[in-house]
Amino acid sequence: MTENDPTTVNDPTTEADPTTENDPTTENDPVAPAADGGDLSRRRFVLGGLAAGGAAIAAAIGVPVVAFGSAPAWQWKEEESAELIETSIPPTLRSDVWTSVGKISDFEVGAPRYVIVDRPVVDGWVREDAPIGVYVVRKSDTEAIVFDPHCTHLGCPLSATAGSNSFVCPCHGGSFDTDGNVTSGPPPHAMFRYEVRVDGGDIAIRALLSES
Amino acid sequence: MRRIGRWFDERLRLSPLFSAFVDRKVPGNIGWFQTLGSATLFLIVVQIVTGIVLTMSYAPTPANAYQSVLFIDQTPFGALVRGIHHWSAGLLVLFVGLHTLRVFIWGAHRYPRELTWVVGAFLFFIVLGFAFTGYLLPWDQKAYWATVVGTNIAGAAPFIGDSVLVLLRGGEQLGAVTLARFYGIHVWVLPASLLVLVGIHMFAVIRQGIAASPRRHPIVEPDPSLSRRDAYEREYAAEKSAGKPFWHSLIKDGIVAALLLVAVFILAIGAGAPLDAVADPNSTNYVPRPEWYFLDLFQLLWYFTGDAEPLFIFLVFTVAAGIFVLVPFLDRGSARHPLRRPIAMVLTGVVVVGIVGLTYLGATATPAGAIEIPATADMTPAQLRGLEVFNSEGCTSCHQIHGLGGHTGPDLSKAGFRWEPADIRTQIVTPKNDEMPSYGGLSEEQLNDLVEYLTSLK
Repeated sequence: MTENDPTTVNDPTTEADPTTENDPTTENDPVAPAADGGDLSRRRFVLGGLAAGGAAIAAAIGVPVVAFGSAPAWQWKEEESAELIETSIPPTLRSDVWTSVGKISDFEVGAPRYVIVDRPVVDGWVREDAPIGVYVVRKSDTEAIVFDPHCTHLGCPLSATAGSNSFVCPCHGGSFDTDGNVTSGPPPHAMFRYEVRVDGGDIAIRALLSES
Repeated sequence: MRRIGRWFDERLRLSPLFSAFVDRKVPGNIGWFQTLGSATLFLIVVQIVTGIVLTMSYAPTPANAYQSVLFIDQTPFGALVRGIHHWSAGLLVLFVGLHTLRVFIWGAHRYPRELTWVVGAFLFFIVLGFAFTGYLLPWDQKAYWATVVGTNIAGAAPFIGDSVLVLLRGGEQLGAVTLARFYGIHVWVLPASLLVLVGIHMFAVIRQGIAASPRRHPIVEPDPSLSRRDAYEREYAAEKSAGKPFWHSLIKDGIVAALLLVAVFILAIGAGAPLDAVADPNSTNYVPRPEWYFLDLFQLLWYFTGDAEPLFIFLVFTVAAGIFVLVPFLDRGSARHPLRRPIAMVLTGVVVVGIVGLTYLGATATPAGAIEIPATADMTPAQLRGLEVFNSEGCTSCHQIHGLGGHTGPDLSKAGFRWEPADIRTQIVTPKNDEMPSYGGLSEEQLNDLVEYLTSLK
């Protein structure tokens, strides 16, 4: 292929064409033009210097760009308390505020019920009270469990079936009992629970716990 | 007109380049299958053009995204443009896949086109990245839940999973930051990467020339004394001298592009771009389903359970991606004809059947809990009530009756034939195996009706 032969190329831009650099059949350095020694070393020095300078400029811009773009992956880890959830099952939101989810006497023992309450939410620059759904299971007159309503497999929304008192995931058939334990399917661990307080007959929740 | 053309040509000096491009000889045995690459390029151009104009009416925040998509659909030609963007996106995934398959079967990834393949493999990943980030943008139910599932799959990876998840979502939950990020990735990061890689890909294709279709018998007698490069150059020169000018094959490319355009318009006008209800993170009855091109992966997740699942999924994905990129270095040898590469062809067949099969299973799989078994005319009132209990309790999540329902538990199509009523009853209330949850919460009447119904299945 004559077009790859550097001796026939007159266009100065293709002379520095790196695609011909590893040409095994060309004996001389195909990047170098036919020039006498002094000019050649100066050319190499100038081009090498420009390459190094270009790399430095790229790094100077690239470092802050990549650091900013990836900031969510490494920032604000230190302010996290150990009891707050580590694994992310959306759209669970961390909150230190106690929120009432209803009177315990309004719930039937052992039957899960879906409740939506307004909780303070921090979502990037959005700070507002937003509706958050939870499953409440009353255990006794003074005890209740409050679950995050998402499958621990891939976060699909769990539906509660009344008769069996179980939670079923529509994505891959995972199911949980009313204690949140996995009864079938691929979920890797039990349902996530909220920190719960039953005070004067009122069920209140705070943070989502990382351990079930 | 000619004078104007000459005026520009004297200033831009384009005609030698143009002539070198369209008049260069290409191998003669290039046919319709070689149009898949240009069809892919055509769809990319359609995506870019429609995508640019869509950004002019779209707002990437949870409070506004859905409303702005409704606004697009109500603006004249808005629904059409969004429909074209949606449908050509699906076709793009399909055509990238077909183009890849064609190149592999033709052995066109062999020397000296290995780099073209590697760049193409990354282009394939970029197209999938476009599909994944693009579908969150309408902020409807499908968008929201598909992204929940998709990011969680990435997040399940061992060691790096948590960081990847946070990196994708821009935080721990899916929300405003995620949408802004996906938007930025979809309209800046991926297009920029795509253009650079398409540039390299096209440059390599033009510099090396289009690969000739493999021949069972070589066009020139092999000369063992030649180096690989020389032998290749000799053979390709023979293909070119027996070939035709490039503009001949542009006719086929043009026809395929026109047909694709017609198909995209028919789909965009006939079916339109879908839009679910607005994303609701608190809904508990939504059944997340991915777009068709991710159904195979979604379906795959049925089959792995237990602690090793994340590791296994991660390994399957990385190994598959790695093999895909490195194909030209794994499938070597001089014979390019598919009939002389039986192992490669069998493996290709297995992969294709696997992908098509999983997609089919995923498309026809009944979402757990959502399917209802229909009543039949010959049923008694008790059996009908039992069927209602069966449907409302989500039994179909795990059990199948006459082809409808899940696969986790046994098929109950012949329950009455296989088990005694008393055994069925015991199994419902106090199951023998761990997988089956106890349905002891059912009332006595419900239980009687349910057993009555199941016993009737023979």
